Amino acid sequence: MDWQALTLSLQLAFVTLLVLLPFGLWLGRWLAHTQVRYKAWIEGLVVLPLVLPPTVLGYYLLVSMGGSSPFGQWMQNTFGIQLTFNFSGLVIASVIFNIPFLVQPIQRAFEAIPRELGEAAAVSGLSKWQSFWRIEVLLAWPGILSGMVLTFVHTLGEFGVVLMVGGSIPGETKTIAISIYDRVQSFDLEGANQMAMMLLALSLTAVVASFFASARLAVRR
Amino acid sequence: MTHTSPALHVSVEQSQPMPLKGSFQCESGQLLALVGPSGAGKTSLMRILSGLMQPHHGKVIVGDEIWCDTDNHICLPPQRRHVGMVFQDYALMPHFDAIENVSLPLLHLPRAERTKQAKQWLDHVGLTHAEQHRKPADLSGGQQQRVAVARALAREPKLMLLDEPFSAVDQMNRQSLYRLLADLRRELAIPIILVTHDLNEARMLADQLVVIDNGHILQQGTPSAIYNAPRNARVADLVGIHNRFLGEWIGPSEQSGQGLLRWKGKGLPLNKQPILSVRDKGRLPEGQPVNWVIPSDGIALIKKNEIARENDFHAEVTESRHLGEINLLTLTIKEVPGAEFVLTLSGSFRKNLAVGTKLGIRLDLSLVHVMPIRADGKGKSKHRTEYPLKL
Repeated sequence: MDWQALTLSLQLAFVTLLVLLPFGLWLGRWLAHTQVRYKAWIEGLVVLPLVLPPTVLGYYLLVSMGGSSPFGQWMQNTFGIQLTFNFSGLVIASVIFNIPFLVQPIQRAFEAIPRELGEAAAVSGLSKWQSFWRIEVLLAWPGILSGMVLTFVHTLGEFGVVLMVGGSIPGETKTIAISIYDRVQSFDLEGANQMAMMLLALSLTAVVASFFASARLAVRR
Repeated sequence: MTHTSPALHVSVEQSQPMPLKGSFQCESGQLLALVGPSGAGKTSLMRILSGLMQPHHGKVIVGDEIWCDTDNHICLPPQRRHVGMVFQDYALMPHFDAIENVSLPLLHLPRAERTKQAKQWLDHVGLTHAEQHRKPADLSGGQQQRVAVARALAREPKLMLLDEPFSAVDQMNRQSLYRLLADLRRELAIPIILVTHDLNEARMLADQLVVIDNGHILQQGTPSAIYNAPRNARVADLVGIHNRFLGEWIGPSEQSGQGLLRWKGKGLPLNKQPILSVRDKGRLPEGQPVNWVIPSDGIALIKKNEIARENDFHAEVTESRHLGEINLLTLTIKEVPGAEFVLTLSGSFRKNLAVGTKLGIRLDLSLVHVMPIRADGKGKSKHRTEYPLKL
């Protein structure tokens, strides 16, 4: 059992969620309400990581974050951070890769809130923030929760993009999914099996728990 | 605040996103009903009043507060307007119980005080203590509406808006809600605006009617003023005045204050067209084509052998529809082909008036109201047979 890899995966999942959640809430809510002409393009870009092969996405991320790219150079010069083959690069890749898993459930949840409720809140004197926290988030919560769980579980199991951008540096970029692959490559099937079982149990528990919670939280109308 | 200015003054003019044009006012303690077919702009007007929508050009003045004045770039958001609004589907928060819903406009108060006041408002609208702890899904339509009213009242409104509040409530609950509304009107010294497409409701509850069609505010007045003197044929159609006829204004008669009206029938030669002596307000040019209406108070049924005067006509029952305690009767007039009277009758004698019965009709010509048909087509009859509003 590669505990280091598991810990790293859990870390990556938490940090990804932490970084992505505020952005996901904002983008999902905006997409739910906006009527701009280029909405279909934005929605298309949001879904893109879902349909693109992870290697393709990983390749582009590698190229755009690498030391010879303007972004990579800027990060290196300003913060002294090299994005490829280290944890912070992994986080950026993971955030981008998880956008559809978080944004889509959130968008659907906000879309399901009748417009009159927001209007009634405004007429009742609630500010936009009060309305957001007391009405919208509470009503959209099952959707937000399922997006969060999907993102978390999906990050734990992420393989292709992580391998492309992070390589397989123990303690830095070697996540549990990559560790399993390594074990299989070196014919350590027992070790691979342990970790695979672990990942399976963790993922299933999280998803089922989120469905239970959503059903309990869903408000009857 | 000066006592001469109305408590609410609204004027709007815009062509986008939907056309709206006109103005109306409402005094404190008055109930004003906004009536018109669906899509006429009633809900848009409500949204402008509540601040949910900004008119392209317009003014909303409540008491001595200017809520919206586009000329001076003023448009207060709903949060700063103190409007009590009852939405069409109530718009109650499904995740809050009744008390929490009514607490929403009271967020500026400490929690204990908020809950106390919310309970008081719910007591006031007649919700039991058990019901006060229920979520909207566990309340009946009528109870949900009472919660919505309590929430609107808790806002300490300076203007009350009710958007089709009775549409989703059954007849039995409706009666008790009418009583609630009547109580509110007595105790609230603010303007109350009611949007409805039910004319009976509007006539029964409102002090003032505002008729709106296709975004245009056509007429404001007391219900009886509008029913007795609709501004044009469209208003007459919209408020469900059936007895509207075509005519031509001949000019003043020898009697002072009286004028002569030619009642035009289909294919009737000029010398056969009846001439009616009606009130003359001195506004119409000679030869002006007109629509004219007569309220049902001005129509009496008489026996055939009583027909004697120039305002008596021969009539025949062509249709009699039995609608519970009333009959809807259609009569044709022998002297004027194409002219049809529609009357509602109650009482036992209506049973004697089967289809084909011949009788007389006596018109009280002092109640005839004449409306010019303008060349621009505005006052023109569209010969609508359907009545877009519920009668």
